[in-house]
Amino acid sequence: MTTLRNLSLTTKVKLGLLLAAVTASVILPYLVDTFILRLLTLALVSSLFAMSVDLMAGYTGLVTLGHAGVLGTAMYGVGYVASKTEGGIGTQILVGFVAGMAAATIFGLMAMRSTGVYFIMITIAQGMIVWGLASLLVDITGAENGLLGIRRPVSVESDFRYYYVVLATMLACSAALYVIVHSPFGYALKGLRGSETRLRMLGHNSAFLKFYMFLVSGFFATVAGILLVYLNEFVSPSDVILGASALPVLMSILGGIGTLVGPVIGAFVIVFLRNWVSLQVDRWPTIMGLIFILVVLFAPEGLVGALKSWWYRRISETGTTKNPTLQDHEMTEAVHTGSQALDSD
Amino acid sequence: MYDPIQDRASFVGSSDLPKRGTRRLTVDGEPSQLGDTPHGLVDLERRDRIRTLGITAVVAVGFIAWALTQMSLLTFFTQILNGLSFGAILFFLAAGFTMIFGVLRIANLAHGGFYLLGGYVGITITLSTGQFWIGIVAGGLAVMVLGLFTERVMLRRIRGMEKPEVLLTIGLTFVIGDLSLWGWGGDPRVVAKPSYLKGPFQIGDSFFYPKYRIFVLGLAIILAAILIYIDRRTKIGAIVRAGVDDRETIAALGVNIKAVFTAAFMFGSFIAGMSGVIGAGFLALLPGQDFEILLFALVVVIIGGLGSLEGAVLGAALVGLIDSFAKALLPELSFFTLFAPMAIILMVRPNGLLGKAT
Repeated sequence: MTTLRNLSLTTKVKLGLLLAAVTASVILPYLVDTFILRLLTLALVSSLFAMSVDLMAGYTGLVTLGHAGVLGTAMYGVGYVASKTEGGIGTQILVGFVAGMAAATIFGLMAMRSTGVYFIMITIAQGMIVWGLASLLVDITGAENGLLGIRRPVSVESDFRYYYVVLATMLACSAALYVIVHSPFGYALKGLRGSETRLRMLGHNSAFLKFYMFLVSGFFATVAGILLVYLNEFVSPSDVILGASALPVLMSILGGIGTLVGPVIGAFVIVFLRNWVSLQVDRWPTIMGLIFILVVLFAPEGLVGALKSWWYRRISETGTTKNPTLQDHEMTEAVHTGSQALDSD
Repeated sequence: MYDPIQDRASFVGSSDLPKRGTRRLTVDGEPSQLGDTPHGLVDLERRDRIRTLGITAVVAVGFIAWALTQMSLLTFFTQILNGLSFGAILFFLAAGFTMIFGVLRIANLAHGGFYLLGGYVGITITLSTGQFWIGIVAGGLAVMVLGLFTERVMLRRIRGMEKPEVLLTIGLTFVIGDLSLWGWGGDPRVVAKPSYLKGPFQIGDSFFYPKYRIFVLGLAIILAAILIYIDRRTKIGAIVRAGVDDRETIAALGVNIKAVFTAAFMFGSFIAGMSGVIGAGFLALLPGQDFEILLFALVVVIIGGLGSLEGAVLGAALVGLIDSFAKALLPELSFFTLFAPMAIILMVRPNGLLGKAT
C-alpha cells in the first residue's frame, strides 16, 4: 500500500505544491481587492479552457485553433436565453450546455478524419465561421452590440462568491481531467499523438477516438464558456475571434504543453501579463504574437518543462532519485510530435 | 473508363512500364507497381477523384438552375463575375499558400497578414509615386523581404516540426495585424486605380460591369496559366514537384533544397503581398481582414486540396461563386453557406477535391 512515507521526493514536492496552490487560491480573495479578484476568476476560467485545449493540443497532439467556437457557442446559448427570453437560470445553463456540446459534436464530426496541418486549418475555419455567424445573425446574437442582460444568480451575485463557484468547478474539472488523462482513453489519446498509423494497426478507430476527444474537450470548454459568460455578464463576437482561440493554445505552450499544470500556470501568467501590458501600451496582440514566436523558438517545453528539468538536474546532483529521463522524454515528445508525425507517415 | 482487369494487371506487376497516372514506388528496396495509397492503386484514387468532381459538377449545375429561378439573367451574370473576380483574389492567395505548403510542408497562417501588409504598403507607395503598377510590385517586394526574414531567421530553426511552425506563423499574424493597425489606422483603405481601369465596361446595350474586376479576373487567369505551365513543363516545376514528393531524394540528387525552400517561401509571400494591393482595388483593406481573407484562403485549399495548383484554381472559383451567390440570396447565412459545402466535401474527401491521400 502506498503511504505518504514511501512516495518519491518528486511526488511529495508535487503534492506539496498542489496543496499550497489550492490553499492559496482559497485564501487569496480575502487579501486582494475586487479588481484583482476578477482577474483571478478570469485566470481560473481561462485555466479550465486552456486545459480543455491542451487535452487536444498537448495530449492528443492535435492543435485546435477554433476552440473559442465551442466556448463562444455555450456563451451565446446562455446569453440568448438570458437576454431574449424569460428563461430562468436553469434554462440558461441547460441551453448553453446543449449549444456548446452541439458545436463540439459538429466540429468533431467535421474534423475527425483529418490529421496534422489539415486538422489545424479545419479548426480555424470552424472557429471563424462561429465568429461569422455571431457577427451576422443580428436577431440571435445582437451582432457587434453583443448580448446584454445576463445576470448571475442572486445567491452568487457578488464577485467574491462567484470566485468560489468558479474555483470549485475548476478544481472538480481538473480532478476529472486528471482521471481522464490517466484512463485507458487518455492513453489512447497519447497513442494518437505518438503514431496514428500504429494505433490503427492495434485496432483502434482513430476517427472515433478523435470524435470522443472533441466531446470530452468540448465538455470542459462548454463549462468554461458558461462560467465566463456569467463572469463578464456579456457576450460579443470578440469572444469568438481567432485570437480568443489562439490564447488558450498560447497558455498551454507557455506553461508546458501536454501537462495539466502547464495550462493553468500559462493562464495565470497570460491573464496578469495581458492586464499589465494593456495598462502600459495599447499593443496587446503584438505582445501576444511575440510571446508565441519566442516560446515556440526558444522554450518549446514551456515553464513547467524548464522547471522540471531544473528540478531533476538538482535532485540527480544530490543523488536522491534514479534517472528521470523517461519523464523528460515524455515532455519533449509532446512538443516535438510534429517531426515524428512527419517521419511516421 | 475504369477497367478492373487492367488494374489487376498492374497490381501483380506486368512487365510493361506503368501507364500515365500510375507511379513506380519502391517497397522494401524492390521496384513495385503498387500505388502509394492505403486504398490500393493510384488508378482507383484517380477514379475516386473524377467521381467526386462529377458529383460536385451535378450539385453546382443544380444550384445554378435554382439561382436562375431566383434572379434575372443580368443579375445572374453579374453575380457570376462578382464571384469569379473575388475567386481571382482567393486564387492568388491560395496559390501562394499551396506553393509554400507543397514545398515546405508549412501551413503559413501569416498569409492573411502578408496580404494585409502588402496591400497597405502598396497603397502608400501608389499614393506617393502615383503609379499603380509600382505599388503592386512594391507591396509584393515588401512582403517578400518579410518572407525571407521569416523563413531564414525563424522557420529554419524549427524545420520539420509541423506544429511549432504553424504556431509561429499564427504568432506572426498577430504581430503583423496589430502593427499594421498602428501604422495605417483603423479606417478602410483603397488603392488609387489608374484611370484606364476605372469605370464600367459595357457589353451589349444593357450589361455594365466594373473594368477593374475584369482586369483582376484576367490577371488571375494569366497567372494560373503561367504557374501551371511552369509546374508541368519546366525544370523549376519538376524540382518543385519532386520536392513535394520526396525531399530527401531531390536533395541527394544535388538540388540545393534549402535554396528551393527559401525561394518557394519568398515567391508565395510575393504573390500574397501583390494580391493585397490588387485586392485593395475593390475590397477595402481594414484591420481584421487578414483573418477573414485567411479563412477564405483556407477554405479554398481545404476544398481544392492542399498542395495542388489545379485544386487552388477549382477551390477559388467555387468559393468565390458560393460567396457571391450566398451574399445575394441568403445574406444572413453567408458564412454558413461557406461552411456547409466544406463540411460535406471533408466528409467525402478529407484531403480535398484534388488533394492526394496522405
